[in-house]
Amino acid sequence: MSFLDTTQLSLEAAMSGSMERQTLLTNNLANADTPGYQPEDVDFQAQLQGAIQSGQPLSSLSFQPTTASQSVGADGNGVDSNQTSAEIAENSLLYQTMSQVAGAREEILKTAMGLG
Amino acid sequence: MSFFDAINIAASGLTAESMRMNVSAENLANAETTNGPNGQPYVPQEVVLAQAGGSFSTALAGALGGASTPGGVEVAGIVNDPTPYQEVYDPTNPSANGKGYVKMPNVSTVSEMTDMIDEQNSYQADVTAMDTAKSMYTDSLNLLK
Repeated sequence: MSFLDTTQLSLEAAMSGSMERQTLLTNNLANADTPGYQPEDVDFQAQLQGAIQSGQPLSSLSFQPTTASQSVGADGNGVDSNQTSAEIAENSLLYQTMSQVAGAREEILKTAMGLG
Repeated sequence: MSFFDAINIAASGLTAESMRMNVSAENLANAETTNGPNGQPYVPQEVVLAQAGGSFSTALAGALGGASTPGGVEVAGIVNDPTPYQEVYDPTNPSANGKGYVKMPNVSTVSEMTDMIDEQNSYQADVTAMDTAKSMYTDSLNLLK
């Protein structure tokens, strides 16, 4: 097993995907009152799963955002602020979890190297 | 996509919402102003929001096939509300015409107040989003400990 195994690489990819999703969700919230704006989101988990299954190198993976086409407000805006806030909280918890896992893996490596 | 995009985008939302709040306050403060700078009654203002197009570096990254970064929100302009003046019968008002009618600005106090509630909620949502992004970055930094 190499030093940077699949788990480490997919953890890194998922963290960067989560960061990208956070940026998109924040942008949706900032544009909650912009007439005609349609929210963007990225399903990084499905894209990461696809990349792992097809054997695509994870280091070159870039996540593609999708634009929704829903109309919530009378001005053609598609942002549901409450739902977006909930998604932001959920995504942040996911990121926190992944960073803790990354930290634990780092500790294991340090112990193995005799630095712990 | 750089590390601090989410914080900058939330900040653009804060700027836009506080601009809307300023304009609402201006409308409410001038709800009874019958003599504006041009001698006419005050005309209520409205803020037009638009999705920010992003910077040159974003456009370049997009053209080179990289992921384009959302730019947040910006105030595209402040426009006059086209609703006509309302005429109120008040013969003792110095601005009254020959028949005792005064042209008053058409500021709807109720809709300005509800707009302010909406602006306050959006502002708080943006603050929360900024705070969440900040805690994510802190989590990343803690990996270095």
